Amino acid sequence: MTKALDVFQFLVLIGVAPLLRGVVARFKACIQNRRGANVFRPYFDLWKLFRKEDLIPPTASLLFRLCPVILWAATLAASAFVPVLHTTALLGNHGDIILLVYLLALGRFFLVLGAMDGGSSFGGMGASREALVSTLAEAPLLLGLIAVAIVSRGSSIGAIVQWTADRHLFELSPAHAFACVALILVTIAETGRVPVDNPATHLELTMIHEAMVLEYSGPSLALIEWASGIKLNLMLSLLVALFVPWGMTAGVSFSALAIAAGVWVLKMALLAMALAALESSMAKLRMYLVPQYLGMATALSILAVVFTAFKR
Amino acid sequence: MILLFALMFPLASAFVLLAFRNADAAARAALAAGAVEVLLLATCAWKLRVAGVLEQGRYLRADGLTLFFLINLALIFAVVLVYSTGYLRHVPGGRFSSPRWFYALLFLFLFTMLAAYLSSNLGVLWIAIEATTLASALLVGFYNTEGAVEAGWKYLIMCTVGIAFALFGTIALYLAAVRGGVPAARALDWTALMAASPGLSAARDLLKLAFVFVIVGYGTKIGFVPMHSWLPDAHAEAPAPISAMLSAVLLNCAMYALLRMEAITSHAIGSSFSHTLLLAFGCLSLLAAVFLMIVQRDLKRLLAYSSIEHMGIVALGVGIGGPLGLFGALLHAFNHSLAKTLLFFTTGKVRDTFGTLRIDRIRGMARVLPYTSIVLILGGVALAGLPPFGLFVSEFAILTSAFSGSHYLLAVFMLIAFSIGFGALFYHLQRMLSGEPQAPRGGLKILASETGAICVCGFGLLVLGLHVPPVFQSMVNNAMAVLK
Amino acid sequence: MGLIEFAAAKTLASSAVFLFITVLLIAAAKRINACIVLFAIQCAVITAQIVALAFLHRSVEAFAVAAVVLIVKVVAIPYALLRISRQLKVTPAVVVSTTPGQSVFIVAALILLAFAVVQPYARAFALDSEMLAAATAIVLTGGFLMVSRKKALMQVIGLLVLENGIFLAALTTTFGMPFVIEMGIFFDLLVCVLLMGIFIFRIRETFEHVDVSRLRRLRG
Repeated sequence: MTKALDVFQFLVLIGVAPLLRGVVARFKACIQNRRGANVFRPYFDLWKLFRKEDLIPPTASLLFRLCPVILWAATLAASAFVPVLHTTALLGNHGDIILLVYLLALGRFFLVLGAMDGGSSFGGMGASREALVSTLAEAPLLLGLIAVAIVSRGSSIGAIVQWTADRHLFELSPAHAFACVALILVTIAETGRVPVDNPATHLELTMIHEAMVLEYSGPSLALIEWASGIKLNLMLSLLVALFVPWGMTAGVSFSALAIAAGVWVLKMALLAMALAALESSMAKLRMYLVPQYLGMATALSILAVVFTAFKR
Repeated sequence: MILLFALMFPLASAFVLLAFRNADAAARAALAAGAVEVLLLATCAWKLRVAGVLEQGRYLRADGLTLFFLINLALIFAVVLVYSTGYLRHVPGGRFSSPRWFYALLFLFLFTMLAAYLSSNLGVLWIAIEATTLASALLVGFYNTEGAVEAGWKYLIMCTVGIAFALFGTIALYLAAVRGGVPAARALDWTALMAASPGLSAARDLLKLAFVFVIVGYGTKIGFVPMHSWLPDAHAEAPAPISAMLSAVLLNCAMYALLRMEAITSHAIGSSFSHTLLLAFGCLSLLAAVFLMIVQRDLKRLLAYSSIEHMGIVALGVGIGGPLGLFGALLHAFNHSLAKTLLFFTTGKVRDTFGTLRIDRIRGMARVLPYTSIVLILGGVALAGLPPFGLFVSEFAILTSAFSGSHYLLAVFMLIAFSIGFGALFYHLQRMLSGEPQAPRGGLKILASETGAICVCGFGLLVLGLHVPPVFQSMVNNAMAVLK
Repeated sequence: MGLIEFAAAKTLASSAVFLFITVLLIAAAKRINACIVLFAIQCAVITAQIVALAFLHRSVEAFAVAAVVLIVKVVAIPYALLRISRQLKVTPAVVVSTTPGQSVFIVAALILLAFAVVQPYARAFALDSEMLAAATAIVLTGGFLMVSRKKALMQVIGLLVLENGIFLAALTTTFGMPFVIEMGIFFDLLVCVLLMGIFIFRIRETFEHVDVSRLRRLRG
């Protein structure tokens, strides 16, 4: 029974991803006093892209066609580790936070490779920027997760979630607070939102993710877009699961699941609103300031790790 | 009751003096208020001599130590007030630079220092010392020139930070007292703390921490090296009577606060720790000050570094300890204030005549200003610690205590430092006095008030140098008894 | 009363974290007004702490102190600073000698230093090491701000943060000093800020700028 629940969780993460992007875009439009598009528009976009033809540049190799698939598969695998409604996940017992981080890194690595393989200068530029951001973001991501893992005395996400869910908010240590802030900063960097990257732009001066996928079309582009949506959903759900897991259930009773689903929807809606507000109120950072931004995240995550030694 | 009057009168006069827009009327009103205040302080002093200890309410208290410093304050204040009525002719007017603001701020400054001396409680003492910084900051920046504003800003910031450290030390002392069993409402009272030594001695480390912070904090205001960098700027850029007040009285006020803290610490955990720290700061200040005096280019900055030197000597006296050391230190504080006031008063005339206080631009003063030169030479002799002036007696006392306490190295070091200081002072004085006069401007005539003020200081120095009157001696002995 | 006591205890327990976060944010801030607002937030957190302590110890004096802190430090002083900042018409940017990224690293290091320094004393005197470390960290950050920020107004903010830290240290170790003393300290602080405001205006009039690193006339 739990297995079926975990499969359902996995499908929710994957299926709701485009909806999340649509909701964030809709919130942004509301804040900016526009009407905004339909929240289900990303689904229509994916449907449209899947029916189109895949155009391959003449200089590209087999890698160009494989990379979107690998990215999508890695992101899928990663999302099998994140608990949404239940305190365990589909593959939760088979890996821990380090595996999660490096699955995401695997996907990103192949995206960078594919971008460079496409042969355009935009691809190369986007690839080098993405390499910079991801290198700098890896340290705070890992350190923040490790800090939380040290405090919860377990490195699998399920164990961490269970530990946090057993206590209430004020029993969390300062390490949690610092790790939370650091991970929020890193999430923004990893998922390519303002102020690190603008997901809605097509101006070359500001592109990171968009530059990398400029050469892709058709189903390949659909897979990449979907994968980036899943990544956003995954990272936000991970934040929710690690730091505010109350509402998630360990059992399988129908009422508990309904409550868990409602609470999850509420939390994601709040996060989407916060993300939209953040994106509307800040300007994108200039490229040379991104290392400073990630440096701050690193400082906070180091602080979080050292604070685990000062637990009360 | 008299304590309350003596304390509140300057505050009231400060506000009243703001109403006198006419410079002459303000001067006369200030002199009148000053006379009343000196009378009130004299009455306090008389009652103190009779009664030994005066108390008023919960926060006012005067004992032997207070008496000593009150006499110091009253004397210097009277002299400074008389001098300023003449000096203010030279000051250009401005928004905050009119005579009424000068007198009002001067009386406010006096009020804050009196509050420090008359407080019974280390917390109120801290508040008063912080208030002295605030009251004198505008006086330091009185001329509103670039240098004055910069000096005032530096003074305000550095002294506030320093005093904040002293606050931390006071809090640590409070914590130690509360832990040691003193009831919380009285844990900062002087009498309660002196009586609670056994309880305090249980919290050794905390008390040591408190003393370190307090000596760094109040040491900033005293001018110990390395927290001294505000002092030359502030004392140089302020008007001459304010420089005299700062050098002579404010440094003594901060030293008074340090002495109170040191007495509490020594009572509780023995004097080795506090004396070591005082010796360290004293040596450092003495050494740094005399060497820096050699390279000075401005007369008032030279005098400011000399203040640092002499405060270092006072710290050394307290640090060496023993009856003679403490006697010498207290006497030195008194003598130094007289000598420094004298010298700062002459700078007014010098600047007036030569237009500048830069030593390399002043030449041939002996020919242009014969009487001022004589006073300057005598003041230099006094400051360098030569007989027949008072500083010789106090420095001799401190040296004797060093020898008798087997601090031979320290005594040799002090002698060397004194010689270097003497050399630096006279090197600069000689450069100013000799040579061809360099196109001086004719200054304003010296007023009788200025001469009178200078004469009073000189007379006091002479008296204390030739023969310390028994009355004075017993006053210092009473002060020492309080600190034992 | 159980709920209030629970809330009070939880406020006390979590306020250290908020203080650390405000300290880090002040280090990272790029505009002077943001620093002033963060200082006000820090004082608000401290006020909440005092109120929590007042509930726990049932002391009327503590309530009065909390009210004074609220009026003086959360409302009056930030308002005065904002007015000065507006009237000075200087550029709102914080001119720094260390970038915000470096500042956050340095402040994080200072927080760790504060913890390391406080441990032996907290153990010896049975105090709450987290709050004491927060107080020490705030003092160190105030000092760092004063040294690394070049505008006069930022030096004033650094000084205020430093005093905040010392006040917090007093609060955690002794639950506050006698009432009159505290009032005197606040009054001093208020007058100090006003005086600094006057001086900043004078610096502006005399020097045509408010960059204190360029005040170098007096040396030696």
